Amino acid sequence: MRGYIFLTIFMVSVQPVFAEVKASKAFNPDISANFLGLFQRFNQGHDDRDQSNHNGVSLQEAELQMTSDVDPYFRASVLLSVSQAKGSTDSGIEPEEVFFETISLPRVTLKAGKFKAALGKHNQLHTHAFPFLDAPLISGDLLGGEGLNEEGVSAAVLLPTTWFSELTVQAMGTNNDALYNSSSSGHIAPVAYWKNLWDLSDDLTFELGVFGTQGNNSFTSTTSAYGGDLIFKWRPTSGGKYKAFVWQTQYMAGSRLGNPTGEKIGGISSWIQYQFAERWWAQARGEYEGISQSTTLPKKNKQSVLLGFFPSEFSGLRVQLDRLVVENLPNEYKFAFQYNVSIGAHPAHAY
Amino acid sequence: MNKINVKILLLFFISLTAQAKLAVVTTTTDLKALVSEVGGEWITVDAIAKGTQDPHFIEAKPSYMTKTSHADLVVSIGLDLEVGWLPSILRGARNPKINPGEKGNLEVGPLLDPLEVAQGKISRSKGDVHPFGNPHVNLDPIRMGKAAVFIAERLGQLDPVHMTSFLEKAKALQRRFESKTKIWQTRIDKTKIKKIVTYHKTLTYFFDRFHLENPAILEPKPGIPPTSGHILEVIQVIKDQKIRLVMVENFFDSTVTHRLKEEVPFVRTADIPVDVDGEAQINNLDDLYEKLVQTLEGK
Repeated sequence: MRGYIFLTIFMVSVQPVFAEVKASKAFNPDISANFLGLFQRFNQGHDDRDQSNHNGVSLQEAELQMTSDVDPYFRASVLLSVSQAKGSTDSGIEPEEVFFETISLPRVTLKAGKFKAALGKHNQLHTHAFPFLDAPLISGDLLGGEGLNEEGVSAAVLLPTTWFSELTVQAMGTNNDALYNSSSSGHIAPVAYWKNLWDLSDDLTFELGVFGTQGNNSFTSTTSAYGGDLIFKWRPTSGGKYKAFVWQTQYMAGSRLGNPTGEKIGGISSWIQYQFAERWWAQARGEYEGISQSTTLPKKNKQSVLLGFFPSEFSGLRVQLDRLVVENLPNEYKFAFQYNVSIGAHPAHAY
Repeated sequence: MNKINVKILLLFFISLTAQAKLAVVTTTTDLKALVSEVGGEWITVDAIAKGTQDPHFIEAKPSYMTKTSHADLVVSIGLDLEVGWLPSILRGARNPKINPGEKGNLEVGPLLDPLEVAQGKISRSKGDVHPFGNPHVNLDPIRMGKAAVFIAERLGQLDPVHMTSFLEKAKALQRRFESKTKIWQTRIDKTKIKKIVTYHKTLTYFFDRFHLENPAILEPKPGIPPTSGHILEVIQVIKDQKIRLVMVENFFDSTVTHRLKEEVPFVRTADIPVDVDGEAQINNLDDLYEKLVQTLEGK
């Protein structure tokens, strides 16, 4: 009897505590983690572990993401990235994206913080969502390894059209080493992206986007970058679990006035992705850098093939072979294997 | 003269308001069928997923964002069925009326007494599990009758003028499904079939309603394609329990059933639609349930 009374008192006393714990958990952000492991070997590569792009095994990147509504007006997202620091075998942590955005305004999303600029479709992807293991050649050479990812503000407006048409305008800092690296923290660069998508049928979509930016650079002049995306995606409404096809092309060019190594750079990347079974993808990519380009910069050609196996939505294994031809340099051949793992909250997939 | 013009304008706007139909977007074709019948002439309705698509894996096309940007109401199943794609569409729609928790956002699944709600700690090592319950409520006519009433109530909140019409239509649909369920039960009983193998746990609610069992699933775990070893186990279950029917939801690859038929000659396999518009002639939920019953009857 004493035990029963004790148990009753215990249950009554702890119940509000459990309720509080449950209620507080309900307000916890959605948390997820993703990491990429890499093994690579290339004939022009080096074996120096201090370099982030070295031969052998490495943890390419780990990301921790937390997302939640802030209040009735805003949602916030914090994405921290851990990867090898430049010139060191140690890992560094940095805020890859930290921003808040509106959820209560019709037709427009306003955003402020640090985020990937809307400079084309690929620039907004996180590394684990890249269609290939690496970014397109021109993206890396013009925007740097991390892409254009700065502090700023953004407005993305859904235009009142019968097809999907979105205009994004942003004002970003000019800290990016490769593109701007401007001398003053007060410099601001505008970014604009106009994205359109049409359903050609229930199975096929066509996407067309144009983008551009301009800002001060480290040569006391201005840099501008612009380009376009062209994407066809096919996934049949019947049998679409087992087959799909994507053809995507990105053109990007830049003018870095005052740059002594060459002011103009331009390139194109085009790739196909073919899903041939429920969990298998085969892909190929061709790239050329040298369109309307300064003669002082070498022309580049690159071909890549990739085979991907995805055991589930939360894991993936990919093998990629690359051949890179750079003017006046020996050809580079590269083999890479990557694993991609996600845990935590279910991701909402972007199209 | 000016006063007359103002009156004409006022009448024009009043008539426009009176004629404005509620724009509804549903995630699945089954929900579209329900909304269409309940809302009648006072609404317009469009579905995102097609009846031939696996509703777990729909791509969040930006065109769906355009579609939902005008919506007064989005009706979904919930229970994480659409978790991989609906949040992206709702965010991209930039339509505060349909944000989760708002009057313009209705998830019917959690209101329909879900089955297989996870108990204790769960893990993705068990496959693509749904912690809040099996989301395939659409294949239970009784639950979908209740869903029609919830939809009518929500439509009535958004358009109070037609609340009575919405509720009357929903209750008529509910009574029709209750009545037909008794007939379908009698017909199913006559088939003497008690146990059925499926590809995925899509028919859990149908089996629960009609007192059928689902002793084996072709997927070793939810969302994981069949393996050779697992197929051998299923074949053994079929033989041991003398199961006569294997139903494969028609968005899955049914070639796996060839091996079953080779090993167990007495088993019958059928590709079945599990959503409205899942195949030709399945134009509403009545057709869909009728098709499933006919499949059991061997028609």
